[in-house]
Amino acid sequence: MRKMLAIVSRVLTGASQKPGAASEAGRVLLAARNFANDASFDIKKCDVHRLEDEPPTTAVLTREEGLKYYKIMQTVRRMELKADQLYKQKIIRGFCHLYDGQEACCMGLEAGINPTDHVITAYRAHGFTYTRGLPVREILAELTGRRGGCAKGKGGSMHMYAKNFYGGNGIVGAQVPLGAGIALACKYNGKDEICLTLYGDGAANQGQIFEAYNMAALWKLPCIFICENNRYGMGTSVERAAASTDYYKRGDFIPGIRVDGMDVLCVREATKFAAAYCRSGKGPMLMELQTYRYHGHSMSDPGVSYRTREEIQEVRSKSDPIMLLKDRMVNNNLASVEELKEIDVEVRKEIEDAAQFATADPEPPLEELGYHIYSREPPFEVRGANQWIKYKSVS
Amino acid sequence: MAAAAVASTARWGRVRAGVMEAARLRCQRGGSRLGRLSVLPSAAGDVAQWRHVAHFTFHPDPENRQYGQTQKMNLFQSITSALDNSLAKDPTAVIFGEDVAFGGVFRCTVGLRDKYGKDRVFNTPLCEQGIVGFGIGVAVNGATAIAEIQFADYIFPAFDQIVNEAAKYRYRSGDLFNCGGLTIRAPWGCVGHGALYHSQCPEAFFAHCPGIKIVVPRSPFQAKGLLLSCIEDKNPCIFFEPKILYRAAVEQVPVEPYYIPLSQAEVLQEGSDVTLVAWGTQVHVIREVASMAQEKLGVSCEVIDLKTILPWDIDTVCKSVAKTGRLMISHEAPLTGGFASEISSTVQV
Repeated sequence: MRKMLAIVSRVLTGASQKPGAASEAGRVLLAARNFANDASFDIKKCDVHRLEDEPPTTAVLTREEGLKYYKIMQTVRRMELKADQLYKQKIIRGFCHLYDGQEACCMGLEAGINPTDHVITAYRAHGFTYTRGLPVREILAELTGRRGGCAKGKGGSMHMYAKNFYGGNGIVGAQVPLGAGIALACKYNGKDEICLTLYGDGAANQGQIFEAYNMAALWKLPCIFICENNRYGMGTSVERAAASTDYYKRGDFIPGIRVDGMDVLCVREATKFAAAYCRSGKGPMLMELQTYRYHGHSMSDPGVSYRTREEIQEVRSKSDPIMLLKDRMVNNNLASVEELKEIDVEVRKEIEDAAQFATADPEPPLEELGYHIYSREPPFEVRGANQWIKYKSVS
Repeated sequence: MAAAAVASTARWGRVRAGVMEAARLRCQRGGSRLGRLSVLPSAAGDVAQWRHVAHFTFHPDPENRQYGQTQKMNLFQSITSALDNSLAKDPTAVIFGEDVAFGGVFRCTVGLRDKYGKDRVFNTPLCEQGIVGFGIGVAVNGATAIAEIQFADYIFPAFDQIVNEAAKYRYRSGDLFNCGGLTIRAPWGCVGHGALYHSQCPEAFFAHCPGIKIVVPRSPFQAKGLLLSCIEDKNPCIFFEPKILYRAAVEQVPVEPYYIPLSQAEVLQEGSDVTLVAWGTQVHVIREVASMAQEKLGVSCEVIDLKTILPWDIDTVCKSVAKTGRLMISHEAPLTGGFASEISSTVQV
């Protein structure tokens, strides 16, 4: 009761000060009155390999967390759809690999770790770039190749980086030994940090991944190897590419967990479990996230020549991560449908603004083409495509 | 472009300036041919600074009727035709690589699985080192292995297998074993939107390795003949296919198999003032330069398509330079350590 009065008085004083606070205040008031603070959910049990313990089968979601996850996942979804639209308008060119359908993976992983932990992934990186802290406008501007982009417009879709986020890597599988190296640095620096090293079901057949497994296990590196299994490596289904589709067991001597990658809570709990394991110095762990992508491999792939439209529709209607979270929150009185709709509107506006920025921002100046090749104090000259073109290289 | 410096004479000075001017004029022309990219002048307004997408015009060769009936084909269709002829003729021939079964990402293997069966045309998982190593094994055992690496940019995990295993097999076993039946095909070169990892030309890395052959065709007619020669050749070969030409290059190509000899460069146009050498897509660019030089500056250029990078046809190039006295080589790959440096240093000696 006292709490209620405190909230009401804060709301009323707040409302008189700034007009915008009125709806916010109204919402707080509504919240205090109508919604539960948190709810407990049963989540799918994870299959484990070489582990005695398992991640928990129930998860607690607070209202605040739920709204945050919803907003972030909805932002990633809308951002990817906007990227699709911009690509079809030829404002984004080159390669573009979209992440919609897999939002629960990036959100769940981020929720299970600290901002000081490290993440490295392959080319389907837009979702992680956002969850690791970059604003949508920088991501879209990088896609359109403008100077406001996170890599100054020089990287594009596959080469996005942020603090403690190492990209964004085009060559399949090459990022996994890098991730093991980052984990070594974490262990060496002794700051209790871990590294999440992601790769896909296609990359899981690359030799260098097994080399990284061996090194990580041998030296007990705090590395979580995560296979985002979206069932198709470009156009090849997992059954046709892998002798063993139990990707969580492929680490052999590395313990593994298989996680439902469409459920953000399942991913979060498994990540927390794996992170705790790694932080305790027991060595690496392997996580397989079973997920799905709605778009094709990239924008040049319609995505229906190797799978049926019915399959895509089925996943969309039964296992869509945003829908699952929304249903859980609404059915357990953590939020109302209207509230979530309001978040949708906010997200839509944010994406529109970002797209506006990304379209209007100028391209990086041509003089910068040669920058950042080497690290050198005095700038040097770089020859262009013919001998009359010289670029200065500064870094 | 690397210019070989020859004893400077007043005439050479003028000719050099002339050809450079022609090349410069060519570079100035905008990229509207391949369409849609915005052309942005830099603040300085220097025309040489204009950005434009890869610009060239494909020059088809006149129809060659000496090998029988011909059909209109583009580059990927001519590759399919070559592979079709190979599998028909050689019962041990197999084609494998990423996504080749449904036809390949560039449609080079369309229809082959249906025609020859899934035992002969099959997909591999995503593992370049595995693909080439596996191919070497297949070839050592006597079969004809035609491996596809999806983009030349991805060939580097297989670099060890190619350089340390394939290239040296015959030598180290004293000719007891060899993997001559291996041919590796890879899409090569710039395409306009490929950026870092879908545009590379790695021929220079492999040129440093004796024991393998490297071939780059300029057109569908050349591609089919050269690919069939590579497959027949009893040495491991790497066949780079300029990806920008897959659809853009259309020519009349014989339906029956025919062979274009390896390690023989072709003089496409005779000239007397300067020799221009290139391979792959760039051949079409220098043909344009040659005609511009003739038209605007009266400079007569001899145009040579090198075709085989390793072992390269030293005689044809040197004979040509002995005639003209000047050499200019042009390639897409980076300048330092590019194959032009090898050609120019050999010619100078």
